[in-house]
Amino acid sequence: MSMNRRQWFKVAAGMGAGLALADLGVNVQQVHAATRGMKLNGTAEYTSACNFCSCGCGMICHVKDGKLINLEGDPDHIINQGSLCSKGAAMAAVPNSPQRLKKPMYRAPGSSDWKEISWDDAYDRIARKMKDTREKTWKATEMDGDKQLVANRTDAIAFLGAAQNTNEECYLITKATRLLGTVNVEHQARL
Amino acid sequence: MTNNWLDMQHSKVFLIEGSNAAENHVMSMKWIRKAQEKGAIIIHVDPRYNRTSAIADIYACIRPGADIAFLGAMINYILQNKLYDEAYVKLHTNALMLASQEFGFEDGVFSGFDEATHHYEMASWSYQTGADKKPKKAHSLDDPHCVFAQLKKHYSRYTMEMASQITGMSSEMIKKIADTMVNNKPGTILYALGMTQHTVGVQNIRCYGILQLLLGNIGKPGGGVNALRGEPNVQGSSDMAVLSGYMPGYLNYPAHNEPTLKEWTKNNGTFRAKFMVNNLKAWFGDQATPENDFGYGWLPKRSLKANHTVYGFFESAAKGDLKMLYVIGQNPMVSNANLSMTFDGLAGLEMLVVHELWETETAAFWKRPGTDPKSIKTEVILLPACYFMEKEGSLTNSGRMVQWRYKALNGPGESRGDLEILDAVFRKVRDLYKDSTDPKDQAMKAAVWNYPKEGMAEAVLKEINGFDLKTGLPVNGIADLQPDGSTSCGCWIYAGCYKGGKNLSKRRDNKTDPGGMGVYPGFAWCWPGNMHVLYNRASCDEKGQPFDPAHKLVWWDAELKKWAGFDTPDVPVATDGPDTPNGQRAFRMTGEGVGRLIAASYKDFDPKEKDKELPRDASYTPKDGPLPEFYEPVESPTENALHPNRKSSPVLKYPRVKGKQPIGKVADFPYVLMTSSIAEHWLSGSVTRNVPWLNELAPEPLIEIPLKLAAKLNLKTGDMAKVSSARGDVTVKVEVTRRMQTLQINGKEVTVVWMPYNWGFQGLSTGVSTNYITIDAVDPVAGTQETKACLVNVVPAEGGHHA
Repeated sequence: MSMNRRQWFKVAAGMGAGLALADLGVNVQQVHAATRGMKLNGTAEYTSACNFCSCGCGMICHVKDGKLINLEGDPDHIINQGSLCSKGAAMAAVPNSPQRLKKPMYRAPGSSDWKEISWDDAYDRIARKMKDTREKTWKATEMDGDKQLVANRTDAIAFLGAAQNTNEECYLITKATRLLGTVNVEHQARL
Repeated sequence: MTNNWLDMQHSKVFLIEGSNAAENHVMSMKWIRKAQEKGAIIIHVDPRYNRTSAIADIYACIRPGADIAFLGAMINYILQNKLYDEAYVKLHTNALMLASQEFGFEDGVFSGFDEATHHYEMASWSYQTGADKKPKKAHSLDDPHCVFAQLKKHYSRYTMEMASQITGMSSEMIKKIADTMVNNKPGTILYALGMTQHTVGVQNIRCYGILQLLLGNIGKPGGGVNALRGEPNVQGSSDMAVLSGYMPGYLNYPAHNEPTLKEWTKNNGTFRAKFMVNNLKAWFGDQATPENDFGYGWLPKRSLKANHTVYGFFESAAKGDLKMLYVIGQNPMVSNANLSMTFDGLAGLEMLVVHELWETETAAFWKRPGTDPKSIKTEVILLPACYFMEKEGSLTNSGRMVQWRYKALNGPGESRGDLEILDAVFRKVRDLYKDSTDPKDQAMKAAVWNYPKEGMAEAVLKEINGFDLKTGLPVNGIADLQPDGSTSCGCWIYAGCYKGGKNLSKRRDNKTDPGGMGVYPGFAWCWPGNMHVLYNRASCDEKGQPFDPAHKLVWWDAELKKWAGFDTPDVPVATDGPDTPNGQRAFRMTGEGVGRLIAASYKDFDPKEKDKELPRDASYTPKDGPLPEFYEPVESPTENALHPNRKSSPVLKYPRVKGKQPIGKVADFPYVLMTSSIAEHWLSGSVTRNVPWLNELAPEPLIEIPLKLAAKLNLKTGDMAKVSSARGDVTVKVEVTRRMQTLQINGKEVTVVWMPYNWGFQGLSTGVSTNYITIDAVDPVAGTQETKACLVNVVPAEGGHHA
């Protein structure tokens, strides 16, 4: 069966929890389609793909006034054909979650609290620490028994994580870390 | 995955072992159930009866860590009873190649072992070679020196009785599963962390390769060995080499004994050196020239002695050697095994930087309950990151399908995308060195790094795809890449994702499906070369015609004189027919060009190569053996029945840090613990434990114990129990269940218990972290921890009983 998304909405709206209401003489299909229409009126649609397991299920994000107001499986996607699992569907909670971090935070050595800092301050601290660490720990060469080998690296800086990231971010992590002189680059694939 | 999600609809049998696909890869079931409706048989082998078991036609309970005994017995049964696909085995595997006469295996150890260093010298794992340096071949599978004979000999010890004793499965069940696989083809094997989180994880998967090659199931629609990978883009992050051992596209990362590109090429071959040159051109642009080895010397070299893997980081930090850890979207303070070691590592750092959506257990480790923050000297910078829908970019699913995600909205507050943050940090560091002439700083100064602020992700994807440097246009595929520096490519297996100057990951054609095989070649883009089933040349016979004409995927078109098909044919050159050597290389990514039953040590030399020292390609051999052998987990309740003198893997090194990595004994810790995720919570739970309705569905950690143990300990569902290992203890709620079993192993009762590991002290739902008690012994090849099998004790917790 071949359907576009709009047709699918109409059919899907006629299924599910409607049977009992139908006994009351309400045209469930019309009501569902209308309420759905109201909800999605004026929204912009963006296709995306789920961020939990690696099935790669397609999703549609409905956005209105800069807010995510609906998230659902993409019926035009070849893998999930509109379905999402319990976790995938739950992602709608994340953009609007009050738990999300909103500002760069700094915790000083020995401190019991975070304090807010600016992005520039954060970048400065990170960059200076990287330079300082490289200067103090650089190995141009290293010994293996009585053989002198080329090292050309620091072992004092390490990067962790990227399976949550896009390919482009992963590529820049790999490129940046090797250019900075560390091979300590790892992520969830090892686990 | 060799195949992909949609391809599963073609399978006649599924062996799902080490995966709870129904809970953890839910959408796989759409395609698995479709096959089941058509009569396919689902076999689920797992220590725990879960939602995947519930839909299986055959469920078999196995002891955690005993998989090689089970699979070895299946391999033996298939070999002894000649149930293999003889035509396929002869044509597409190394079965007929003559193994070295030095090759041997005795009392649990392969030839070439050095006990003092736990290290194998691999020379005896090679072939007998001719004057052309190619393997000599036997005329028949009965030749006593061929690989096939060695395979038979090795697995002859894996009798049904032996396997039954080790695994706790009955001989009848093992035989039933083997017969079901043999009688229903094509068949596929699906696995996940249940197979990899062991100290024999790599060899577990090698068993699958051997089994599927013997059954002739690789390269065919509905066949293959399919890893159900656990993170949204863990395929892409591996492809892009966010791993210490690789450059992008799985090129081995240069080691400290490979100071020049030539030395690297001696170990890796000219075939891969071409891609390394393209990678270096992508990074260093005009600064990469043939005269300066394309900038190879600027790359840091990895030590073959140091531990550059994730567990090595925390051990090094605890010693004070690692000063700065930069974490992006990972939460090791919940997800690493032996969390006390991870905590010591974080506390040993001078600076920790975290990009996150949330204040995770890792970012807030210094707030851990019971910790005095004053005692923690680590500086922590926590940067608010954007969620996936708040930025754009591509990701690669388990079936290697690269798809684009559009930015739908801005992230909250001042949050920024990781790409933007990485770009800013790199530029900032480079600025600090702008006046440096020190050789150590030249890599970052020579690098091409000038991405635009708008459209940065697509600019990076173009660099990954690569360019023809003469025309400035994107390359159209791997075949365009040149060894002389006239092309660039950031990750050679992605060459062609920007074919014709278009971002093919954005394609959405869900209508065009030639042959009705579920390939959809115009929907997104698969690496390599939009190929959906790897090794698909192996679905054809010697003449290039499909073994099964009713389910054909690719074939040699004699009229057009080229390989054709519904999928991109997996051949070295599309016009090299089956009458040429290239046309018979169904496994072209191995040096031999065929599937490897024994992972022999082998380098392939091209007679046309000018420099005779340089091989064309080098085959990969795991350092813990050319064939899978059964070894007990590090913490095991029993002896190794196959070789009592060699209980665990001989190349394994554990403990790595004395005093921090104790090994529990069965007398103190009598039960086997396995851990996993659940349908409602995902990995460290940093996302899912911040979603209120998922917390309602699964509010807290627990332990599942079998009825028999519950009766013995007088525990009921809802009681509290203390679960302890040699590394620590946690107290959780008990669930008494028929899911878990007490098994008969080597004549004794062994009880298996289960816990999810998704909780920590941060987020909306907090709970104890199971990983305080799990073991961080790792697979010697992959570095993956043995979280699927360790020893614990379970006792009722004080005051935990119902009144």
